[in-house]
Amino acid sequence: MKTQDLLTRGLAAGALLAFLGAGLAPAQENTEKKAQLPHVWDGGKSTPVHLIELRDENDKPIIPTETNPFPYSARYTCGPCHEYAKVAAGRHFNAPISRKDGRPGQPWFLVDAATGTVIPVSYRDWPGSFSPESLGLTAWNMTMLFGRNMPGGGTAEPPAEMEAPDPSARWTVSGKAEVNCLACHNASPKQDHSEWAKEVLRENLRWAATAAAGLGEVGGMASRLPSTWDIYDGPNPDDHEWAVVPYVKYDPKDFDSKHRYRFDISYPPTSNRCLACHSVTPVGQALSDSDPDVHLAAGLKCADCHRNDLGHDMTRGYEGEAADKGRAMLESFTCRGCHLGEDAEGENRVTPGRLGAPYPKHAGIPLVHFKRLTCTVCHSGSVLKDGFTRVRTSRANRLAIYGVASWATDFPFIYEPIYAENSRGKIAPNRIVWPSYWGRISGKAIIPVKPEEVAVAAGDILKAEEHAARVLAALTTAAAEGETPVLVSGDRMFRLNVDAGLDASAYGTQKKNGWSLGMLKDGAVLPMVPDFDPDSPDRDPGLETRVQELLTALSADPAAVSTALALDGTLAAPDDPAAPAVKPDGRTPVFIMKKTLYRLSAGYLETVPAPEGKAILKGFAWARGDELGPLFSDLDIRTISQKAGREQTLTEEQVTLVLGAMGKSAVYISGGRLFRLNGKGRLTAERSEAAKPVMWPLAHDVRPAQQSLGRNGCSDCHSVNSGFFFSKLDGRGALLTKKTEKRSSTSFMGMSGLFQRLFGLTFLVRPILKIVLIFCGLVIAAMFLYAGFRALGRISGLSDRK
Amino acid sequence: MYTAITVLSALLLFVLLTFHRFWATNEQAGKNLVITSLLGTYARWVKTGANRICGGKKPWKSPEGCLAVIRKMPVWGFPVFEKWLFLLFYLSFLYLAASGLFFALFIPRGMSGYPLLLHVAAGAAFAICLTVIVITRAKDYIEMPKPLVLDISLLDPRRLGITTIRGQYAAFWVLVVAGFFLLLSALLPMMPFLRYDGQKLFFGVHRYSALVSILAAVTFADFEFYIKKKIGARSGS
Repeated sequence: MKTQDLLTRGLAAGALLAFLGAGLAPAQENTEKKAQLPHVWDGGKSTPVHLIELRDENDKPIIPTETNPFPYSARYTCGPCHEYAKVAAGRHFNAPISRKDGRPGQPWFLVDAATGTVIPVSYRDWPGSFSPESLGLTAWNMTMLFGRNMPGGGTAEPPAEMEAPDPSARWTVSGKAEVNCLACHNASPKQDHSEWAKEVLRENLRWAATAAAGLGEVGGMASRLPSTWDIYDGPNPDDHEWAVVPYVKYDPKDFDSKHRYRFDISYPPTSNRCLACHSVTPVGQALSDSDPDVHLAAGLKCADCHRNDLGHDMTRGYEGEAADKGRAMLESFTCRGCHLGEDAEGENRVTPGRLGAPYPKHAGIPLVHFKRLTCTVCHSGSVLKDGFTRVRTSRANRLAIYGVASWATDFPFIYEPIYAENSRGKIAPNRIVWPSYWGRISGKAIIPVKPEEVAVAAGDILKAEEHAARVLAALTTAAAEGETPVLVSGDRMFRLNVDAGLDASAYGTQKKNGWSLGMLKDGAVLPMVPDFDPDSPDRDPGLETRVQELLTALSADPAAVSTALALDGTLAAPDDPAAPAVKPDGRTPVFIMKKTLYRLSAGYLETVPAPEGKAILKGFAWARGDELGPLFSDLDIRTISQKAGREQTLTEEQVTLVLGAMGKSAVYISGGRLFRLNGKGRLTAERSEAAKPVMWPLAHDVRPAQQSLGRNGCSDCHSVNSGFFFSKLDGRGALLTKKTEKRSSTSFMGMSGLFQRLFGLTFLVRPILKIVLIFCGLVIAAMFLYAGFRALGRISGLSDRK
Repeated sequence: MYTAITVLSALLLFVLLTFHRFWATNEQAGKNLVITSLLGTYARWVKTGANRICGGKKPWKSPEGCLAVIRKMPVWGFPVFEKWLFLLFYLSFLYLAASGLFFALFIPRGMSGYPLLLHVAAGAAFAICLTVIVITRAKDYIEMPKPLVLDISLLDPRRLGITTIRGQYAAFWVLVVAGFFLLLSALLPMMPFLRYDGQKLFFGVHRYSALVSILAAVTFADFEFYIKKKIGARSGS
C-alpha cells in the first residue's frame, strides 16, 4: 500500500513537473527563438500591418473570451519582432542606469504644495537636480510620483537590485509597467494618456498599458488591495465596491477568429503622442491663441527629427550631441546642421536641407551672433519683451491629463527664456525653476527633508486652508438650496472649491478685522444666524432651529478642529507639552449669542449662560467643558488672508513656526534664499548654493522667422532698456515673501549690465557711424580710382595727348 | 587656417624686409653668385644684426626709454592739426591691429565686450584719419609711370625700376586699398544686404584685409626708416 502510495505520489509529482515543464519550456524556447529574429529593415517604406496575437506576461496568448484574462505584455507581444531588451535600454527608459546623460534636460519635480516643496529630481547627473537616492526615493516612489509621464520600463520595471531596499514597494500587487510601446506607437484614437496616468495612480501598473491603449476595459484598483495580494489570487468575491481586484475585459469583436488583434501602429509616432508629455504652454494663454511649433505647422512630426533606431536612443538635436554619442550623422539633426549645413564647429561638413529645411536669409545679422548664440536664442520659446514668461510643462505641471478633477498644477513655477552660457560657450535659452524645500544642515551641505516628515513635524501649522475648508464643507450640509457657506476675512471671501480647497474672491472695499461665517445667496453674504436676543420671549424659534442644524453639521466632522489650536485662540506648537490638552477629543461646536451659549446635548439644543472670560466670543466656537475657543485660530485666519489670491502656499509666519518645530539645524529654501531662525527665533534670509535655481535648455516651440528675435533690427536686443538684456526675474518659490533672489538677464549670461547699456547706447549713433564709413569709403575709393586712372592714362599715353 | 597664414606671411615679410636691407646695405651681397653662399651670408648678417639688437641698448625696457623713442618720432614736428591726425591714426591703427590679431589668434570665440566696443570706435577713427591722409598725402606717394613701350626689356626685372621708394609707394597704396576693404567689410555686415554666407565672406575679407594692412604698414614703416637712414647717411657724408 505504501509502495503504491509512493508510486502514485511520484507519478503525480512527475505529471505536475511535466505539466509545469511543458508550460514553461515552450515559453522559454519561444523567447529564445524569437529573440534570435533579426530586426533588419528590408527597405520597404510602408508600415506593416500588425495583426498579431496578444500575449500576456507569461507569454501565453490572450483569449478574449476567457475568464479573468491577463493584461497584454509588450515584452511578449511586441518582443518577438522588436528585441525588448534593446528597446528597454532606450532614452525614455534608461535614466536609472544610463551613463550618457548628455545635455541637461528637464528634471522631474517632487512637488508637495502643502509643505511648500518643489525639489528637482533626476537619475541623470544634471546640475541642480537631486538624485532620487539622496532624497530616499526608491524606484517604487519614483514610479508612483512620476509614472504618469513615464512610458513604462525604467523605474516602473526595476531590475532586482533596485527593488531590494524598499519594503514599502508593492510590486507584487501592482505588477510592473513594462515598456509601453503603444504609448508612442499607437495611432488608434483610443490611446489615452489620461487613462495611463490614472491606472498608475491606482497602482494598476501591469494593466496600465492595456487600459491606456484601449485594448481592453480595465477596472479595479490595486492600491486598495492588501500588500499580500497577488494576481494569481484572482478576484475578491466578497468585495465588489471598494477593494475590487484589477481586471481587464477584452471585446471579442476587436479580435479575429484566430484571436489576433489588429494594432493601428504609427512609425514614426504621431506628434500627439509626444506632446502628451512634452507640451509647454505659457500660463494664461488661451488655446485659440496658441500656435504650434513652426516645424509641426509645416507638416513635420516630432519624430521626423527626433529619430531613433531600435535602440531608441532618441536624437535630441543639440549641438555637440554627435560628439557626445560618437555619431557624426547626428550633426544633420541640429538646427545648424539641417538649415545651414554646418557642424557644431561651424564648418560646412553637413548636408543641409533634410525634409526640405529652408536655408535662412539672416540678412544683416553680423557673424558674431552665430558664434556666440545658439539658434534657439532668436527662434525658440517665448519672446523676452515684457519680462520673462511663466510656462507650464506637461511633466512638471501635469498637463494633458483629463478627468473630473483638474490635474494640472501651478507648482513648479517655471520661467523662460533665461539666456545663459552653455557648456560650449554659447548663450542659449533655458527654463528655470527656483527650488523650495525643507532641509537640515549637515556640515556644509543641506540635506532635503521629505514632505511627509515635514508634515509630521509641522502638525497643524500648515493646515489653515484644510481647517477652513472642512468647516465650510461641514456647513454645506446645513445650507439651503442656493446657499453657499463662506468665510469672510479682511476684504476677501473664501468658499469651498471642487478640490476641497478654498477659492478667494474680493469682498467689499474695506478690510475688516477678524473673520465671520456667512451664507452666500444671490450674490449677498447673509449671516449664518441673524442677531437675536435669546432672552426675548418674542424671539423667532426658527433661528434656534437654524443654530441646531448648523451645530449638528459642525459636529459631523471633528477633524475640522485645529489640533494645534489652543482654546485661547493662540497656537500651540506640536511638540509643546501643552499640546495634548488641545486635542480635538471632547470638543464640541457651540454657538454664542449675547450671554447665551447654545450647544448640542444628545442631539438636542440646550442653552447655558456663556462663560465670562478674557476672550469674548460671538457666533460659532469650540468648547470643551467650560473652556471656549474660536472656530479658527488667529494663525489660520492670518495665513488664509495672506495667501488669498496668491499661488505661494507658505507664509513667513508658518515657516518660522515649522522651523521652530523642526529644530535648530532646520532650514527652508525658497526663491533663491535660505531661511533659518536666528538666535532670537526670527526668520532670516541669506544667499546659499543650495538655493540656486535649476536650469535646462529649451529648444521648442520654434517660432516662424518673422517672429524671431532681431526681426525688427538690432534694437530688438541692443538698446538701453531692451528686454533681452535688462529683464529682471524674481526668485519665486513656495514662500510668500519679499526676500527673494532678484536677477537680471545679463547676470544669467555672465555679462556686465553696464556694458550692455553702453553698447546699447552706441546703436543710437550707429547710423552716423554708417554714414561716416560710407563717406570715407567713397572718398578712398574715388582717390584710388582717380590715381589708378591717371596712371593708366600715363601708361597708355592717353593723358599725354593734347 | 587664419593663424597659419598670419604666421607664415609675417615670417615671409620678415625675410623679405631683412633681405632687402641685407641686399641694399651689404656690399658683399651682390658679389655672391652662388645662391647657397648668398643665403649663408644673409643668415650670418641676420644673426649679427639680432645679436647687435639684443646686446645693444633696449630703450623699450624702461618707460623713459620708450618715451624717448616716442619723442624722436617725426610726427611731433608736424603742424598741429596734422600732428593730432597722425597720432590718432597711429594709435587707432595700433589698437585695431593688436586687438584684432590677439582675438583672432588666441580667443576662439572672437572679440567681445569692451575690447569690441573700443575696436569699433577705433575703426571709425582709423577710417576718418585714413581718408584725410589719402586726400592730403596721396600726392606724396605717387609717381606717374612713363608711357608703356612694348619692349623685351619689360621681361628684365632690373629694368622695371623697382626701388625702395617705389616699394614704399606701393605699401602706401596697399594700405589704402586694404583700409578700404576693412571699411567695406565693417560697414556691409551692419546693413541689411548680406545673408549668412555673405556675412561669412565679409568676416573673412575683414580679417585678411586687416592682415594685409598690417603687413603693408610694417613694410611702409621699414622702408621709411631705411630711406631716412640712407638720407641721413648721405647728408652726414
